Amino acid sequence: MYGWIWRHLPGNAWVRGFISLVLALAVVYALFQYVFPWAEPLLPFGDVTVDGAGTGGAGAGR
Amino acid sequence: MAARTEHEERTDERVAPVRRTSRHPVATAVSIFGELLITGGLVLGLFVVYSLWWTNVLADREADKQGNTVRDRWAGGPGALDTGDGIGFLHVPAMKNGEVLVKKGTDTETLNNGIAGYYTDPVKSALPSDAQGNFSLAAHRDGHGAKFHNIDKVKKGDAVVFETKDTWYVYKVYAELPETSKFNVDAIAPVPKESGVKKAGRYITLTTCTPVYTSKYRYIVWGELVRTEKVDRDRTKPVELR
Repeated sequence: MYGWIWRHLPGNAWVRGFISLVLALAVVYALFQYVFPWAEPLLPFGDVTVDGAGTGGAGAGR
Repeated sequence: MAARTEHEERTDERVAPVRRTSRHPVATAVSIFGELLITGGLVLGLFVVYSLWWTNVLADREADKQGNTVRDRWAGGPGALDTGDGIGFLHVPAMKNGEVLVKKGTDTETLNNGIAGYYTDPVKSALPSDAQGNFSLAAHRDGHGAKFHNIDKVKKGDAVVFETKDTWYVYKVYAELPETSKFNVDAIAPVPKESGVKKAGRYITLTTCTPVYTSKYRYIVWGELVRTEKVDRDRTKPVELR
């Protein structure tokens, strides 16, 4: 998978390394900006109230 | 067979480093599977970084901004209770976390801004200025500002001070409940009997999740009002905060 990407990047090793770095950063950005904020409420780590309606577990949101 | 594959690979690389054609399909599948596992591990690791560090960065930034807005509104000196952008600041010296802005509501979006919220549901919280009732608050234990992270450091007898525009409300912690169910709504009742009190009074209840990094249970700390102090021109802090 990563080998395949590497072989399909243009340029010499330095250019490829640079593009790889940019790609990796783009992926991290997308994760932090979109994927994790979306996933977080679905996981039972941040429920702090006593109302029985945790967002995790039974999936009882509000 | 493994050795043969390796040998072929090496030959491939020497002859034509850009194209590998003669790899066994099983080897390819195993290799892709391995890479997916590594990727999954990295993503989970990043999620931990996100939860425990990045959400704090964002929340602290937002809490500072919102706190400053409230301080600006108060700049004219003491005045009547102002609930516009938040009702005041919670100071718990034992938690060593400075001041926590308190706003209405305990929904996720509110609490994710690195502030504490007072309950509107399932039991409506009283306000500190009410003649009696329970001022019940919730905030995050980890991530999103983690404002109640050190709730386990709060012991019986510690001071909890709530600052509004015109009054310092000084509470004293009299009971704690290190672990309870999230269904234990009685913990924030107007008279929280579970804490050992029977009569109506002016109580404060702090709730957050426990153990740290999860939210399997809830951690409760109860306090009772001992006195109030008028805010003076210089906002001189009550003796508990000095």
